[in-house]
Amino acid sequence: MAAGGPAGGAHSVCMVSDFFYPNMGGVESHVYQLSQCLIERGHKVLVVTHAYGHRKGIRYLTNGLKVYYLPLKVMYNQSTATTLFHSLPLLRYIFVRERVTIVHAHSSFSAMAHDALFHAKTMGLRTVFTDHSLFGFADVSSVLTNKLLTVSLCDTNHIICVSYTSKENTVLRAALDPRIVSVIPNAVDPTDFTPDPSRRDDGIITIVVVSRLVYRKGIDLLSGIIPELCQKYPELHFLVGGEGPKRIVLEEVRERYQLHDRVRLLGALEHQDVRNVLVQGHIFLNTSLTEAFCMAIVEAASCGLQVVSTRVGGIPEVLPENLIILCEPSVKSLCDGLEKAIAQLRSGTIPSPETVHNKVKTFYTWRNVAERTEKVYDRVADEVVLPMDERLGRLMSHCGPVTGYIFALFAVLNFLFLAFLRWMTPDSIIDVAIDATGPKGAWTKQYFWGKKGRVKELPSSKNAQMKRKEHNSH
Amino acid sequence: MEERLYRSASGAPIALRPRQHSASCRELAVRCPRLQLRSLSAVTSAVWLAAYGLFVLSENSMVLSAAIFITLIGLIIYLHFVKIDQESLLVIGSLGIQVTSSYASGKESTTFIEMGQVKDVVINEAIHMQKVIYYLCILLQDPGDPQGVSDIVPLFQSSKPRLDCLIEVYKSCQEILEQRKTAPQPSGIK
Repeated sequence: MAAGGPAGGAHSVCMVSDFFYPNMGGVESHVYQLSQCLIERGHKVLVVTHAYGHRKGIRYLTNGLKVYYLPLKVMYNQSTATTLFHSLPLLRYIFVRERVTIVHAHSSFSAMAHDALFHAKTMGLRTVFTDHSLFGFADVSSVLTNKLLTVSLCDTNHIICVSYTSKENTVLRAALDPRIVSVIPNAVDPTDFTPDPSRRDDGIITIVVVSRLVYRKGIDLLSGIIPELCQKYPELHFLVGGEGPKRIVLEEVRERYQLHDRVRLLGALEHQDVRNVLVQGHIFLNTSLTEAFCMAIVEAASCGLQVVSTRVGGIPEVLPENLIILCEPSVKSLCDGLEKAIAQLRSGTIPSPETVHNKVKTFYTWRNVAERTEKVYDRVADEVVLPMDERLGRLMSHCGPVTGYIFALFAVLNFLFLAFLRWMTPDSIIDVAIDATGPKGAWTKQYFWGKKGRVKELPSSKNAQMKRKEHNSH
Repeated sequence: MEERLYRSASGAPIALRPRQHSASCRELAVRCPRLQLRSLSAVTSAVWLAAYGLFVLSENSMVLSAAIFITLIGLIIYLHFVKIDQESLLVIGSLGIQVTSSYASGKESTTFIEMGQVKDVVINEAIHMQKVIYYLCILLQDPGDPQGVSDIVPLFQSSKPRLDCLIEVYKSCQEILEQRKTAPQPSGIK
C-alpha cells in the first residue's frame, strides 16, 4: 500500500472497455496494469467488459481486481453492438451496487466504452476517457467515427491521450478544448523485459519484428525489405512474431526468394513469450504506418535491442534519438536505416544491452502512469457534472445542427429510460457489493500475507466470495 | 420460532424462518409472498377482455369458451409448476443437506445432497435478468480431485433473497459445517 493512501481521497473507479483479457493487446494490458497500480495506491477499481466465450459473469483477478464480463452481443472485431440503450440496465446496476464515482472508458473502437460514458453522464457520474489510437480525417469511416467521438467526448469531464501526437489528433477529431486533454504515456513492465545477450547468436545478425501482421502495421513494407536486405547481407536473419491476415504476404516472399532458413515466422505469441523472442535479436524493426504510442519499441529497447522504426504518429516522442533510428515509411528509407544499424553493430558503436535497459527502465513505469492518472481523477472529482439542460445545450451547440439534435433526443430518451428503471428497481433495493479493493477492501494483503493462523480466523464469507464463479444464469 | 422479514432482489417482501431442531440439525425456510388476488384478477380480466374483443370481431362463441379453458389450465399449471411458496434448506451435520421447494398447489420437490459430496456453502454473484445479484450455492466435491468443484447447486432460486438474508442463512450453514470439520468421524449411530 502506498504510504498514507491517496492524497485526494480514494476513488471508486470503473474501467469500461470492450477489450480486456483474455483478449490480448495494448489496451488490454494498459487497463490491467493501470488497475493494478491504482489498487496498490488504495483505490477501488473494477473492470467492465463483454463476455468472451464461456467467460461471463464476475471474476476476480490478482489483488482482487473485480471483472464483470457482461453477456452482450459482440458485433465486429471484439467490439459490442451499440444501440445506446440496451446496456443501460446492467451498467446502471453495476454503477449503483459498486458505488462508482468515476467511470473511465478506454479506446475509441470500443462501443461499450462510449455507451458507458453516455449512461454515466445521464446518471451524473464523472467521466474520463482514454484514447489509444490515431485516426485519419479523409475516408468515410473516419468521418463517421470522428462525428461519434465528438458527440461522445463533448461533455466528458477529462480525456487522456497516450502521446502528444495522439492528443493533437484527438483534439482535432473531436473538436475539444485542449485544456481538458492530458497526455499520459503508456508504460512497460521493465522487469518483464530484461536483456540477455547470451541468448543471441553473435555469428549472425538477427532482425526481430513483433507485431500483428495487418496492413496498419506496415507488413507490406516488411515484405519489400526482407528480400532486398537478405541479398545484400548473407548473415542476416529475420524473426517475425505475430499472426494476422498479412502472414500470407510474408510466406509468399519467403517462398519466392527461397529464404526458409533465414526468415522464421513464429505465428501468434503469448505475451510472456515476447521477451524470449526479443532477446534473440540484435535489431528491432517496426514498420507501423500509424501508431499513437508504440509499446513494442519500448519493450524492444528495454531488452537492449537497437530499434529501427518508421517516423509516424507518436513514435518520435517515445525514445530519445540515440536509442532509435527513425526512417520514412518506405522500403528504401527503412533499408537505409537498417543498413545504418547493421554498420553500427559491426563497428561496435552500439551501447551494450545492459546500459540501454537501465536507461529505458526509468522512462515508462506503470506506477508513474497510475500516479498521473490519479491526479486526473482528483481533478475530475472536484468538477461538476453538467446537469441535463446544460448537457443538451452543449450537445446541440457543439455537435452540429443535425447530429446534435438527434443525440440530444437520445440523451432525453436515455434519461427517461433511466427514470423508468429507477422506478422499477429503486436504488435502495440494489444490494451494495462488498468491496474487494479500495479502503474497505475485503481483499487486503493481510488475507494472504498474514500468518497462516490469521487466515483461518477470517470470516470465510469473504473468502467464499472470492472464489471464482463458474455459474451464471441469465 | 420467530420469523424475520427481508426483501427479495426484486423488492418483494419475504420471510426467513430458522428452526433449530438440534445442535447439528437446522432448518431454514424462506417464504415468498402468496399469490395476490389482485394480480390474479388482473390477468384473468385481461385475458377475458381480449377474448371478448376477438369475439366481437369474429362473432364466434368458441373464443369465449377457449378463453375460460386457457385461464383455468394456465392457473393450474402456474400453481403446480411455477409458483413456489416456500423454499427450505435442511442442514443435518452428519447426514447432508436437503433442499425442498413447495409449490402453491402443495406439490413438493426435494433434492438431497449427501454430506460427503458437499464441499462448501458459499455466497456468489451472478448476472441474472439485467441484474447482478448475490445468491447462495452449494459447491459439490469433485470425486476425482479433492480441491476441485464438480458442480454448483444454487439455492433459493425462486425467492432470490437479498444479501442480508443470505448472510444470515450462510452463517447458520457454516456453523453446522464447521462442526463437521472439527469432528470428521461420527462415532456410529445413536
